[in-house]
Amino acid sequence: MLLVVTYSRAARTDLRNVCRAHEDCVVRQFGRAALFSGTEFGAFQALRLHEKHDLDIQIEHVEPFEPTDVPKHVREAAKRYEAREEPATPYERFASGRDLPDPDQLRGVDL
Amino acid sequence: MKLRVAGTTYAGAVVDLRARDVDGRIIAASIRGQRCFPALSCPEPPAVYAYAGYVHPSMGLRTRTALAAAARSRGHETPQDDAIAECRAQLADLECSPPDLPDSVDPVPESTIDGLQEAVATHRGRLTARQAVGADDGAVQADLRDAATELSERETRRAAARETRELRRERARAYRDTLEEQRRLADELANLRRSARATLVDRCADAFARAIEAVPGPVPDSPFDADPVTAALAVLRVARTPAPVVLGTDRFRSPTAASDCLDAPVVRC
Repeated sequence: MLLVVTYSRAARTDLRNVCRAHEDCVVRQFGRAALFSGTEFGAFQALRLHEKHDLDIQIEHVEPFEPTDVPKHVREAAKRYEAREEPATPYERFASGRDLPDPDQLRGVDL
Repeated sequence: MKLRVAGTTYAGAVVDLRARDVDGRIIAASIRGQRCFPALSCPEPPAVYAYAGYVHPSMGLRTRTALAAAARSRGHETPQDDAIAECRAQLADLECSPPDLPDSVDPVPESTIDGLQEAVATHRGRLTARQAVGADDGAVQADLRDAATELSERETRRAAARETRELRRERARAYRDTLEEQRRLADELANLRRSARATLVDRCADAFARAIEAVPGPVPDSPFDADPVTAALAVLRVARTPAPVVLGTDRFRSPTAASDCLDAPVVRC
């Protein structure tokens, strides 16, 4: 899919118009951004906006995501942290002393 | 004030132009320095004149905004003023012109590179085989050389395309970061100005209510419900008015009465 983000009022207005006129290629619309279908038509609409508004339109490729797409230790860490008994404990403190990755370690690794 | 309309010069605190066919809007624009004609000399009008400098029956008025401007003309300050100035300066300092991006380059498909690598390997194999049996290898050597040259060219182009892509993304991101910052500052500035306006309106609310009663016109239950002409006259009575105000309304007995009530020089159109 394509994520289309606007950075000016005029671009935002045109994005809204495109979304209204071409619902079939819009997966989801947010305030100043929208998710277009990953089709040539979706790309066509995104590129039209880009042609008109240049850098005020940002287009990114978005891939579908499932939790199983990330390594098990990351999923495990999220699950155990959200099940913590002390809500005020920051993750860093929670992880130390347990068999969990520390946040810096997670930050340093690309998916 | 000194005002010259179609060959006649008027001077003094009160000028009556009802006998002349003059558009009050044009006089008001001249007073604010937005027009050179009719020629006019008078003190600099404060910002409140942009809202209430020309009072006429078909006018609209953002009463609170105008009243806040009137308070400013009286020299009122607000606790938000420093933050507003700071915010304005930061916005002015933001360099927000779109960057020059290098033209985007079509990526070199991996399949092309793979095919060429295969071709090089094949030619190399054939060359080794021919050399092993002592056969003529001139043509094979040429093929190998051509394929290797093309492969290296394509690889260079692929590297350049990747670099260009990174550069384009980097510059676009930096620019959009600035746009985001600009948005954040503009929001903050708008909030600060709203608070400042509320402070000023609050501080002048009593004076405004008294002014609503003092100027001619219907007195509403709440001063802020006054019709635009009454509200504008009250705003002018609250404001410091060194420059002439232009009146296109019959509310006053005479231009002189208007001038006395508003404590302002008056041009009656």
